[in-house]
Amino acid sequence: MKITVRAFARFREFFGGQFDIEVPEHARVRDAVRAIARSRPGGGEVLLDAEGDVQRSVIVLVNRARVAGEARETLRLEEGDEITIYPPVAGG
Amino acid sequence: MVAMLSAEERERYRRQIPLIGEAGQEKLRGSKVLIAGAGGLGSPLALYCAAAGVGHIRIIDPDVVSRSNLNRQVLYTEADIGRPKVEAAAERLCSFNPDIRVEPVRESLSPENIAGLVRGMDIILDALDTYAARFILNQQAVVQGVPMIHGAVGGFCGQMALIVPGRTPCLACIILHPPADADVPVMGIAAGMIGLLQAGAAIRFLLGDHHTGLSELVLWDGSCGRLDSIPMERDPGCMICGDGRNAG
Repeated sequence: MKITVRAFARFREFFGGQFDIEVPEHARVRDAVRAIARSRPGGGEVLLDAEGDVQRSVIVLVNRARVAGEARETLRLEEGDEITIYPPVAGG
Repeated sequence: MVAMLSAEERERYRRQIPLIGEAGQEKLRGSKVLIAGAGGLGSPLALYCAAAGVGHIRIIDPDVVSRSNLNRQVLYTEADIGRPKVEAAAERLCSFNPDIRVEPVRESLSPENIAGLVRGMDIILDALDTYAARFILNQQAVVQGVPMIHGAVGGFCGQMALIVPGRTPCLACIILHPPADADVPVMGIAAGMIGLLQAGAAIRFLLGDHHTGLSELVLWDGSCGRLDSIPMERDPGCMICGDGRNAG
């Protein structure tokens, strides 16, 4: 099934601003993030941690609602869902 | 009773009084802002709050000016290298607008001094560069019920959020797991852009607009010149502004 990805800041530069990706039926958020990482060479280093999960600091939204904690592993996506990824910054 | 604007003040603010009224200008003159950090974000924040006529600016920073600050910290010049930032900032701001009061505080934020620094302020402007310090500020904003405008930058990009305790997510709801506070590269224009977005939000809020830009994280991407926002929600279990059930 197809889902839409919106990426911001350095993720936009790396993966593109808005694009569709194919994920298996009933894919979880974690699976979708891994698919995003695989969509560009080196994407895993940018988006994932050593365990292959999305880095904890990354803000993830599905259909504009925040997905955090365990929900990243359990929440299942549906055709046409929109996933947003944003890496917060720290400098001042 | 608020004192009327002087003839000099009317002349200084002649181009903005038609927009905000004399009452608005008096409101700004009677406002007190805490600017936490006198660096890349603190520079445009302080300059534009001073330019707009915000009457009392308390600015905190423990550092001295170094040459590598000058790509983005537009409060300072080459001649300020080695001087305490808040001392140079106060001098610059007072020469820029002698009608305002600038209170320099050469300290780091800590759990010990934060309550006194926030007390009496109308709004807090987060121009810090570590989340450890930001969370100290955020907690005190919630405890004292003082609105806070968060800002942060990295590379060509930055983020901004208006935090109104009790009404919007606090910083701990937005940033569940902070990114590393590494010495990240930053373009001066990113700090300038976010600092101005923060100053704009602060001035709107001080003038009485308490409805615009709530519960969102504003994102600036200078690599493609785009401004976006993503919605943010309060976390009912937040250990700072919620019931604390998510502690740890």
